[in-house]
Amino acid sequence: MSRLGRIASESRAGAKAFLRRRTAVFFTFFFPVIIVLIFGVLVGTQPTGGGLFAEPPGYYLPGYLAVVVLFTPLSRVGSEFARHREGSRFEKLATTPLRRWEWLFAHTLVNVLVIGAASLLIFGLVVALVDVQIAVGAHLLLLVPFVALGVALFCGLGAILGRLADSQDGVIAASNSVALPLLFLSETFVTPDLLPAWFRPITNLSPLTYFARGVRYLTYEQVSIPVGGATDPTTLALFQLGVLAVLSVVFFVVGAYAVPRTD
Amino acid sequence: MNATLLRPAYDPFSLAASAVSVGSLARRERTLYPPSQHTSTMDAAVVAENVTKQYGDTVAVDDVSLSVPAGTVFGLIGPNGAGKTSLVRCLTGTTDSTGEVSLLGSEPTHVERARIGLLPQSFSPPERLTVRELLGYYANLYDEARDVDSVLSEVGLDDAADTWYEELSGGQQRRACVGITLVNDPDVLFLDEPTTGIDPTGRRDLWTLIEDLTAEGTTVFLTSHSMDEVERLADQVAMLADGRVIAEGTPGALVAEHGGDSRLVVRTEASADRLADTEFRVEASAGRLTFHGVDATRIDDAVDALTTAGIEYESFTWTEPTLEDVYLELTGRAFRGGPASGSAGEQASAPQPDAEPAEVER
Repeated sequence: MSRLGRIASESRAGAKAFLRRRTAVFFTFFFPVIIVLIFGVLVGTQPTGGGLFAEPPGYYLPGYLAVVVLFTPLSRVGSEFARHREGSRFEKLATTPLRRWEWLFAHTLVNVLVIGAASLLIFGLVVALVDVQIAVGAHLLLLVPFVALGVALFCGLGAILGRLADSQDGVIAASNSVALPLLFLSETFVTPDLLPAWFRPITNLSPLTYFARGVRYLTYEQVSIPVGGATDPTTLALFQLGVLAVLSVVFFVVGAYAVPRTD
Repeated sequence: MNATLLRPAYDPFSLAASAVSVGSLARRERTLYPPSQHTSTMDAAVVAENVTKQYGDTVAVDDVSLSVPAGTVFGLIGPNGAGKTSLVRCLTGTTDSTGEVSLLGSEPTHVERARIGLLPQSFSPPERLTVRELLGYYANLYDEARDVDSVLSEVGLDDAADTWYEELSGGQQRRACVGITLVNDPDVLFLDEPTTGIDPTGRRDLWTLIEDLTAEGTTVFLTSHSMDEVERLADQVAMLADGRVIAEGTPGALVAEHGGDSRLVVRTEASADRLADTEFRVEASAGRLTFHGVDATRIDDAVDALTTAGIEYESFTWTEPTLEDVYLELTGRAFRGGPASGSAGEQASAPQPDAEPAEVER
């Protein structure tokens, strides 16, 4: 079987195993939906200046997408990692031709499909339920690589957390500890001006920041353009995409290395 | 005074029956190697030299050397915690260790993966795939693989092929796991306690399967804490205690060297004095006489001696030394194999000189 065949086999098995866990599937899609309903519909936004949710509704679309792009791969790959370790599946796979990166790539593919579907759902819900203005055009197709690269990046991080944590409980706790700060400190729901000036450069260390900025350049008409350099939002988005791609490769490689060859 | 030998049907789970090594009588013809004589590396599928594995301060495998001739079954026995699983990991390259390991002539991590099969001890595949899907999933990881249906048939799961793994019984799950290790038709198969949780029928089916595999040339490295399993299947046996190999050889040679003699225990109130003139060495204890050194062909002679001496008896039992006796002799402690739950296939058995496996009633 070719490398492609091995990856396809691992992906099929991973997808079937996931799709047959009904509660896992339900909550994977329910989680972002409830976030949109709570913050987009119930809380709403008050563009009157100052405080949380003070921006127009369209500003927060990257945040809603970030919820699934960040949380789902972290928890899914992390817990899958723990399941594999507890069931000696890595020990078994180490004696098959499947390579470590192939395993992670296969599970990343599954996550890209699952999270891609969840992202479409969020996008549709936000458009339908929240009063957002989105500039429609071909540039929106760039959302696909943003989601795919974001998922790959956090699948890699999920594998790293899975390696560091010694149980499924540990993976969940570690995922939450990493994901929550990232979610709120990556220009998603909290605008930079709400943070202390000394902290703002630190948000550049979060990979999610580049996802949020890029998606915002593509979807939010009132986006502020940095002074100097390019002024075209799509060009600015492509720069963010490039940074995200580099970070994704780094996290994926480290994540693949974290997949155990030995016990 | 006629007595009938009531040998019980062979039940590997019966502590009593385990004292009668009927299993060894059923062994097929194979090339056997003398004890403690390692074959050359050229003939060996697996060679370990001075292999040591430590977890922190704990030495799990301590300077182990062994050689597994190609096409044979090598049985590694020892109680829980003896280091069996750690040694399997060393041999398959799924853990780091010191010392030298050669698997099919290569380092374990460099060997062609399609040539080896591993069933880890606590292996649990994706639980919501059917057995057919599971076998297909693992088969598709290899360039060439066996037909899934034929493997299903071999492990006796044709009828459960479309059942999710999690809905199988414990024994069926273990058989599915064995099937997974067979999909690539490996040259060397590592089975770490393969029959744990399998019912007696399933165990015997699996034993037959292992015998068939070795008849076709597959080398099997089998770990078990079931002495009867190893006695039946293994050409060579290594006993592991506290990470060290304490004995190695054919089951028969180990038993002959360390197991003591076979015995006939007679329930009677009679004194041993009345047998003083016989050729048997007889010891008396409360309510019983023990004839030492009575092999199966001499039971009738012993019974005749009882009759000649006019000794009335209630029953007698015959016991043959087993690998458990060898373990007791070499370590000074009883063999404790299985977990306390006593799941099928796992016996918490200790050598019991007074066990009554093959009872004869008057």
